[in-house]
Amino acid sequence: MNCTQARRLFGACWDDETTQVERELLESHFASCPRCRAAYDEFSRALELAASLPRVEPAPDLVERLLSRVRRLGPAPDHLPALRPVWLPVAAAAAVLVIVGILLAPWFGLRPAPPSGPSQLARQPVAQPVRVPTAAPQPAVAGAPAPRPGAGTEFVGIPDSLFDHSEDMEFILDPVTLHRGRASVARASLKQPGIQGEQAVITF
Amino acid sequence: MSPDRDPSAPAIVSLSDEDLMAQVAEDDERAFTELVRRFQGRVINLVSRVLNDRECADDLAQEVFVRVFVHRRNYRRGSKFSTWLFTIAANLAKNEIRRRVRRRNWFSLDALQEMLKDSVIQLADPTESRESALEREQLQAAVGLAIATVPEKYRLALVLRDIEGLPYEEIALVLNIPGGTVRSRINRARSMLKRKLQPLLRKVVAP
Repeated sequence: MNCTQARRLFGACWDDETTQVERELLESHFASCPRCRAAYDEFSRALELAASLPRVEPAPDLVERLLSRVRRLGPAPDHLPALRPVWLPVAAAAAVLVIVGILLAPWFGLRPAPPSGPSQLARQPVAQPVRVPTAAPQPAVAGAPAPRPGAGTEFVGIPDSLFDHSEDMEFILDPVTLHRGRASVARASLKQPGIQGEQAVITF
Repeated sequence: MSPDRDPSAPAIVSLSDEDLMAQVAEDDERAFTELVRRFQGRVINLVSRVLNDRECADDLAQEVFVRVFVHRRNYRRGSKFSTWLFTIAANLAKNEIRRRVRRRNWFSLDALQEMLKDSVIQLADPTESRESALEREQLQAAVGLAIATVPEKYRLALVLRDIEGLPYEEIALVLNIPGGTVRSRINRARSMLKRKLQPLLRKVVAP
């Protein structure tokens, strides 16, 4: 038996799991190899020290504390409780659907129902109705509808969509430039030729 | 829990661990108390040696028994109760070790070297004819710290085998690893422990 083989048997020898033949071979090796003998002595001494550590005693009131704690737990369930509440994924999916619906609603032409009463936003003077001075009712283009009689000056409500063709009027939007949050309209805009109607100035 | 029991039933103390656990599953408080009394010392010793922290060991041992109670209906009859109990204890100790490592609230090798150096000086003093209580405590603290600095997976196997004295087959069940792996881990852990304690061992004459 060489030193490597001998050292492989240290653990089995300590556990008393070596065969009689292995033990005799080991003893004969120790007799001829003081280094392996010393190594085994250190090995066994280290394990003796670990095994001889004093037992840690439990606190005297551990049982009482434990019993008072488990009494508060109540009866055991018949099976393991679910890790998560069942309603959680359902609620999450519903929330996602609502958010997606809100985001996609404008693309499908849906608008929210008008509020029944004056809301806070409605009271804010964000957008005023535009006073549009109408010119003399001279339809220059054939087929153009005649203006409503008696309408020298009228208020045109701002349509919710700029592409709302329910009104017989075309809007030409001047470029709007914003300066520190206040709206101003570029006055240099020109009427485009061939377009009938009046310019509407929309402030935001 | 139902503290009332059939008077014709065998005395609690004469029941096996497994029979007691079967009664705990039926909400028998006396059976649970008996199980705690039987195993509290071993559980505290195990977690205390693995963590090298007496204060935390108390709380963790309490948590082990709370888990036993909470999952009392999951205990499979026919399996050894102590194996199930040590599995819970080992898992909680592992979690605690990992939590401490994450928080870097763990022992340093420098501290171990310092403690070993002090112990060697004390033990190597020729005027000391026998170990005083202080020296013995220092020696035990050094050994405890040396165990605590063995890497976690080797340490658990080492404590279960060389401190708690569990057979290899049971350690394999507790750690849920093959028997061959248990042996190799314990061999490596023992070599590591020997290396860590070497400065001490060379000075101390074995009794």
